[in-house]
Amino acid sequence: MANVTLKVNGETRSASVPPETTLLRLLRDQFNLTGAKLGCDVGDCGACTVIVDGQPVNSCLMLVGQVEGREVLTIEGLATADHLHALQKLFEHFGSLQCGFCGPGVILSAKALLDENPDPSTQEIRDALGGNLCRCTGYTKMIEAIKGAACILRGEEVPAVKSA
Amino acid sequence: MAEKPKVIEKPDVLEQPDILKPPAVAPLVTFPIEVVVPEVRQQTPAVGQRATRADGRLHGLGQTKYIDDMYFPNMLFAKIKRAGVASARIKSIDTKEAEAMPGVVAVITGSDIPCNSFGPSLKDQPVLADTRVFHAGDGVAAVAAVTEQIATEALEKIKVDYEVLTPVLDPLESLKLATPGVHAPSANIYGHKVIKKGDVEKAFAESDHVFEGSFRTQMVEHVPLEPYACIAQWDANGRVTIYSTLGRITLGRADVARTLGIPMSRIRIVATVVGGNFGGKNEIRAEPAMALLSKKTGRPVKCVYTRAEEFTSSTTRHPLIMDYKTGVTKQGKILGRKIRLVLDGGAYCSWSETTLGKACILSAGPYNIENLYAEAFVVYTNKTMTGAMRGFGAPQVCFAYESHMDDIAKALGIDPLEIRLLNAFDEGSLSPTSQKLHSVVVKESLLRAAKRFGWNGIGNGTGNGNGA
Amino acid sequence: MKRRGRGMACMWYPIGFTVAANPSAAVVKVNEDGTATLLTGTVETGQGSLTILAQITAQELGIATDDVHVVSADTDATPMDTGAIASRTTYVTGNAARMAAEKAKLILFDVAAPLLGVKATQLEAQDHKIFVKGFPQRNMHIGDVANHARVVSGQPPIGSASFNPETLALDPETGQGKPFGTYVYATQIAEVDVDDETGEVEVLRVVASHDCGTAINPMLVEGQVEGGVAMGIGFALEEEMLFDANGRHINPNLTNYIVPTSLDTPEIEVDIVDSYDPTGPFGAKGVGEPTLVPTAAAIANAIYDAVGVRITSLPATAEKVFKALQAKREQQPKQIGTGAPPAAGASNNAAVQ
Repeated sequence: MANVTLKVNGETRSASVPPETTLLRLLRDQFNLTGAKLGCDVGDCGACTVIVDGQPVNSCLMLVGQVEGREVLTIEGLATADHLHALQKLFEHFGSLQCGFCGPGVILSAKALLDENPDPSTQEIRDALGGNLCRCTGYTKMIEAIKGAACILRGEEVPAVKSA
Repeated sequence: MAEKPKVIEKPDVLEQPDILKPPAVAPLVTFPIEVVVPEVRQQTPAVGQRATRADGRLHGLGQTKYIDDMYFPNMLFAKIKRAGVASARIKSIDTKEAEAMPGVVAVITGSDIPCNSFGPSLKDQPVLADTRVFHAGDGVAAVAAVTEQIATEALEKIKVDYEVLTPVLDPLESLKLATPGVHAPSANIYGHKVIKKGDVEKAFAESDHVFEGSFRTQMVEHVPLEPYACIAQWDANGRVTIYSTLGRITLGRADVARTLGIPMSRIRIVATVVGGNFGGKNEIRAEPAMALLSKKTGRPVKCVYTRAEEFTSSTTRHPLIMDYKTGVTKQGKILGRKIRLVLDGGAYCSWSETTLGKACILSAGPYNIENLYAEAFVVYTNKTMTGAMRGFGAPQVCFAYESHMDDIAKALGIDPLEIRLLNAFDEGSLSPTSQKLHSVVVKESLLRAAKRFGWNGIGNGTGNGNGA
Repeated sequence: MKRRGRGMACMWYPIGFTVAANPSAAVVKVNEDGTATLLTGTVETGQGSLTILAQITAQELGIATDDVHVVSADTDATPMDTGAIASRTTYVTGNAARMAAEKAKLILFDVAAPLLGVKATQLEAQDHKIFVKGFPQRNMHIGDVANHARVVSGQPPIGSASFNPETLALDPETGQGKPFGTYVYATQIAEVDVDDETGEVEVLRVVASHDCGTAINPMLVEGQVEGGVAMGIGFALEEEMLFDANGRHINPNLTNYIVPTSLDTPEIEVDIVDSYDPTGPFGAKGVGEPTLVPTAAAIANAIYDAVGVRITSLPATAEKVFKALQAKREQQPKQIGTGAPPAAGASNNAAVQ
């Protein structure tokens, strides 16, 4: 068994698990943070994306030994006690999620992007989401929402959506 | 209102004692205090509003509980052993070594299923293959263990003795009646449909030009982000509750009742949250097997398909072979059309009858054609079972009839938009089955799309693009 | 060199099952404050059906979307439903929900009529009020009526209904008959760049003009079209399940079975065609499956427009397009200077009789 201690959503957490346990399983099975999903378990789909020390990673590809002492942000840690994060607000407003399964991963990839690049172009957004598969939405409304969230975070007005 | 992005601070490695301190108190709320009902959901009249989805907020918070997110006390995890051979007779299955593994609580095979067949129309699909394997993804045994890891390892210990048979993989081979039946003694052709109106040969004789085209489409899979999953558990009154990703719970309950031989009143199927379906979750998969494992062990049993199983062991889209022959006037008016469709019907019928019917009915396209002969066949092959997938044959035949239409347009030197407007349905047109159509807007959709796109008439037909 | 092309495809698609009965049942209960609960056996698979059904129920009762709570997908608690399949939910389950809401509403009208001094047939429900047609000032809040119904009249406002599309069996020999209650229509136009050296196809833009009858929720219709076009692009260009000579799967994984990512999907423009179907709930039909039906054809036609090769089998991978380009080059006689396009009718796949 391997002992691991890390910060998850600002809180120090510990667990004792077999060393081959992935970060994904640690979060889901040990800490009951089921927002990160198991879509393929081999890093192809991005449904397990979480942010580790500021970088978006496929948590199914990280072993617990690699997260010792690090800071992990999951979808459960994005909203504060008072507010939804701008991304969560706009994903809801624009109808960017349908079945929702890819949602936590996409939102965290977007957050990592906006933390680094507060005014991304459409292509930069597409690049940032390139590792997150979505089968329901065609990504269009996600890109609109991310652009809108970037506006909010920069303190600007969100442009009106063009409807059919 | 500007919101500063959260800043994550890296832990200072010299501050080891901090990491060992008791954990900081987590936020006590499970959702932000600022929970407002969006304005758009409070508007009347309700129809026509861009109302946001109630589940949209939960999705964004990561609070939506899919089946794999659900845990029950004493729950076991199940995995299914896949045949790995496309066609075989099962001579014997030895589960003793698997059953003896520490952590394995129960193993079942097809012979444990009281009524081992189901299907939306033909009941040719087994819950677990017991005497014959018809495709490489067929399940032959199911294991329930205390962890998923142990269940997966136990699958290796199950010994199956196969008499491997030659698989039939090409639907055109399967169509030849001389080929040994995949489901012998039943014929390979398990569905046939004809739509006939007018006199198509006469129409060809009267046509200025007759064009032919052959098209094929491939087998594809739904790839829902959420793999298929279910959890089964019983209560002391002999009632089973099955949480499932099933898209049709009324049918699912009937199938579970039939395969397990229990009354419907003893079955509860719950399917409240699904991560994508697209047709691939529209019949039962492992529900009866999980119910049996749960009954045998007295504990809840969860089964989640691996991504590989989604491809090998859930339904797929029918590959189609489509032959078209169309007679037209020199102005491009269609006088007659003859179509032959061969559907690769995979290992089991599943939703093939529906797909056959729809593909055949839709195959002529949204066009006024008075003389039509469309014939469609669906045949067994030893590949993954083909079933319902978004469109039921329509995307395949549309690829054929619209490619064919452009070929005709080019040959006649007519704008693809014009030839479609010349032939398309109007309000009150008769369909290929002579149904009077209402609320018809195909021409409107053509004109609107062309306008929005900026379709500038017969710029094409040269076969040479404009270049970038 | 990249060559640009555009292609169109139109389609028709039915709503519901082929001839066979595919009913849905629904129950609507109005609470004592005028909000309501809808019970439906359908399954929300991501398409947003529960929101649509809430909107339909709310419309019938004259209340708002958020006033309707939807309980779904439990064989113990919800009435039967044939399922989330064949693009039938808005049309079939929607009709059932509307009819169930109407029955609950009629109980409210029966209760309100004597209180407003009119006959029940003279009443309407809108904006949370039940009022006399033509005299909106003579009204009661729906909550007051609902409360009165339970507490005074002893008639809880609850309605239960089912709907099944009208069809006629197909003749076994000629296939003639009325297999579906209604159909939807659409056109998609795709613009692509084809690299004539590698065969790679890039979809730049898709305009999708779709009929769904009345759009109960245009935002959700757009979402379905955008998702469907993305799936159509995968079908057209990337996806294929491969088997070896023994029938074993070669690529049962997402590494080698390619589905469209955000980098593969283009700008998708959605246009909703004005249409009204009197047989659907408030004129609605459906939209789930039709969205991917014409995409592959539009792309194949665009490839033809761009580089003059007719791909007759899907997926139109770069290898396939490349081989077709090579074959075309070998067929064409060398032309010096003119660069004239090949004669019409010379395409590989059109045989003139």
